[in-house]
Amino acid sequence: MADHPIIDVHGHWGPWFFAMDIGTARENIRLMDAYDITIQLVSAAEGVVYDAPGGNARLSPILESQPRLRGYLVVNPNDPDAAAADLRRHLPSGLWSGVKIHTGYPLRPIDSPQMRETFAMLNEFGVVILIHTWGPDILVLPELLAQNSRLRVVAGHMGADRWDLAAQAARDCDRLYLEPSCSLTETMRFRHVLAHAPIRQLLFGTDATLIDPAVAFGLVADAAPTREQEELLFWKNAADLFGLHDQLANLGN
Amino acid sequence: MVDRLRPIALDCDVLFGTWPPRAQVRMDLATVRTTLDKAGIRGAVACSARGAWFDDIEGNTETIDVVSPLDGWYPAATINLRNGLRAESELDRMVAAGVRAVRLFANQSAAPTFPGYRHVVDEALRRNLVLLVEGDFRVCWQAYAERAARVVFLDVHAYHLADFILVARQEPGFVASTRLLNAPDSIETVVGEVGAGHLAFGSRSPLHATSPATIRLRHARISDTDWSAVAGGTLRDLLDGERKVGG
Repeated sequence: MADHPIIDVHGHWGPWFFAMDIGTARENIRLMDAYDITIQLVSAAEGVVYDAPGGNARLSPILESQPRLRGYLVVNPNDPDAAAADLRRHLPSGLWSGVKIHTGYPLRPIDSPQMRETFAMLNEFGVVILIHTWGPDILVLPELLAQNSRLRVVAGHMGADRWDLAAQAARDCDRLYLEPSCSLTETMRFRHVLAHAPIRQLLFGTDATLIDPAVAFGLVADAAPTREQEELLFWKNAADLFGLHDQLANLGN
Repeated sequence: MVDRLRPIALDCDVLFGTWPPRAQVRMDLATVRTTLDKAGIRGAVACSARGAWFDDIEGNTETIDVVSPLDGWYPAATINLRNGLRAESELDRMVAAGVRAVRLFANQSAAPTFPGYRHVVDEALRRNLVLLVEGDFRVCWQAYAERAARVVFLDVHAYHLADFILVARQEPGFVASTRLLNAPDSIETVVGEVGAGHLAFGSRSPLHATSPATIRLRHARISDTDWSAVAGGTLRDLLDGERKVGG
């Protein structure tokens, strides 16, 4: 039982196309209860892999009924105009904490012109972006952030198998944050990042309900963070970045 | 009620030695034993990484020398998939030494369709050895199918769970390591679909973090009997030859 809040900055709601029965908000809450997660920031799986505006629309009423869930609006970098319309449509509700961008399903890497255009559009909104990172193109993010001064970015999966470059990128830009969720569990992944990235730029993410939170909690545990590092990682950094202090208080924390 | 904090009896996926792409990870056996002990893992099927990278014969000798004396531990031999010419003699030496499991490594870039790979599998099965197999299950399963093989697939991913279950329905000796079965219901789905006799706890310590696998198993929503099987019973039966397959 954790004696501090836990904010999971990388969650999903809804079914995936794998052999998993994980599609309901009840499953989000079951896992949050099992692992003492206080608040989870989720994107609609449907929005990630198929139809961004459609998935966002289906997630909206879920967020209204689940005070421990906050949303990411999924943005497809192939259609920034639709994304801008979605942001204007949904952000005023206050139920959303930022924007989620995947690179694999839209087939647009971080250094693509479509992604640059999308970042420029999102800069007008000044949002936090959770972006899927997998490999060396995480090193493009500091440059993109330098061009878009109102943005802050969370590198989902912290580069996956290039955690070393993720730590380097975080050192290069104080508006770039890292979170460890991933099905890859190499011992050095989080140990290296904890030792080499600025601690105020580390967040906790699980990728639930796609991935069981055991993976991220186990990675962190085996890296043996100090008590102070734990507090920053598990909730303080996220509460500051996403402005969740009031919501934590409302939830009794 | 089984105490889910009680030790996990057996880990099917443990290495020691050194690993060139991760040379900074301490992998000496003493450190590995301490890591497992802290994680509540009592025993393991362990293999020297020397055979994976450099010399299978030297590595197997090292594995037998240091693992065999450990209570509750089993040595896993390996065969160099890039030089199948000496597989038969080395497997004979392993059988004579009492080794019951052979691990095939994926770092050697040998596909299951390669002649050397097929030869090693043929000769290992001929000697009634349990195989511990790295690599994408969807690619390597066929080399072992319809042969009454006892195989622990070490890299079955949650994303590929349906493929494993479809095959396991026909293969009583096919077992998946829990290491990458990391969706919230992967372990429960395998147990429900084909039974705990198709699952064995694995962590790939110390190359991979140990706690993701232990925490997941301790949260598994399965019966006490099934939990004990996944935590060691299934694998022990395989290694002890008590698992009847192909019948």
